Amino acid sequence: MHLQEFADRSHLDSTTIEAWVNAEWLVAHPPGQQFSEQDLARARLIQDLRGDLGVNDEGIALVLYLLDQLYGLRCLLRDIQEMRTTASERTN
Amino acid sequence: MAADPYATLGVKKGATQVDIQKAYRRLAKKLHPDLNPGNKAAEDKFKELSAAYNLLNDPDKRARFDRGEIDASGTEQQPRQYYRDFADREGWSGYSSGAGFADFNDFAGNDDILSEIFGRAGRTARRGRGADVRYHLELNFLDAVNGGKQSIVLPDGATLEVNIPPGTRDGQILRLKEKGRRGAGDGPTGDALIEISVLPHPYFVRKGDDIHLDLPISLKEGVLGAKLKVPTVSGAVAVSVPKWSSTGRVLRIKGRGVPRADGGRGDQYVTLKLVLPKKPDPDLERFVSEWQPSDSPRQSMRV
Repeated sequence: MHLQEFADRSHLDSTTIEAWVNAEWLVAHPPGQQFSEQDLARARLIQDLRGDLGVNDEGIALVLYLLDQLYGLRCLLRDIQEMRTTASERTN
Repeated sequence: MAADPYATLGVKKGATQVDIQKAYRRLAKKLHPDLNPGNKAAEDKFKELSAAYNLLNDPDKRARFDRGEIDASGTEQQPRQYYRDFADREGWSGYSSGAGFADFNDFAGNDDILSEIFGRAGRTARRGRGADVRYHLELNFLDAVNGGKQSIVLPDGATLEVNIPPGTRDGQILRLKEKGRRGAGDGPTGDALIEISVLPHPYFVRKGDDIHLDLPISLKEGVLGAKLKVPTVSGAVAVSVPKWSSTGRVLRIKGRGVPRADGGRGDQYVTLKLVLPKKPDPDLERFVSEWQPSDSPRQSMRV
């Protein structure tokens, strides 16, 4: 989706979105600054953190950095688990 | 929401707004689905928590609830898709970072799949790397064993040339670097992951790096011995069957199995199977009826 639709659906203004992209909280995809449903869900998470959870901007950057590592580790674990399942199926 | 919002937040009726906010933040840390991707129950509980907080955090709504003018229902929120629904799916999403285990490369050792995973992880540490794309490729038994080039037609009509290394196994995943989705901005392109299925062969069976084969031989070949042509994965070879060979005798043909990465090869094991002629043969029947066996082949079974 383009910036306008993303702004409408996330209830954010375009200046805020651009600031978040510049801060690397969000990534806009080529061609022409496209956003995905995942970006929208990530924007809602950032809104939760800033709003009700009261995390400040420095804290957001830190939380996102650690969350990206957490999800990366979960993917890695899943890959290893899948690999082990395939390996044990082969030996059986 | 049927539950009492005060109970959900764990605060007393007279709690201050600050207490309510504190209670919410303490619980939200444990119940926000995106912050707790491994907790399946978190989503429902967080929904209940948010509804309770929305009601009590608004002084006007809270007062009306306290006076009994509204109940706790009607404050439920629209269903929403959480970030973890995307970030925690199979495959690596654009934001996942490998920084949490970039130093575990040594741990991977010589295991090629593990080192591939860790190698990829190192590259995902940069933001905006394109996603990996998974494909499935079915190979004939001999194409997998001997290797060669194969092509996959992609959904967009393009073809992808895949180099099949000799000795490719069923279930193995081949990685084509930078053949996946384009990265965001100047982020690197993802990889194509090709999962291999190997179709069974009519008579070759693979066990590790060795090939097993049942070889039918005639009565005459078994009794008198013979020099026979035996198929292997790399063409037929001549093999001597010793005289007096029964069904079950195993011959090993060295170095005629599956090619290994180190340049060596496994072996082929040939299990002999004595087979009578398809059509009854009167000459053979006459000949055998005059023959008196000296011992019973079932001696060890004591029957």
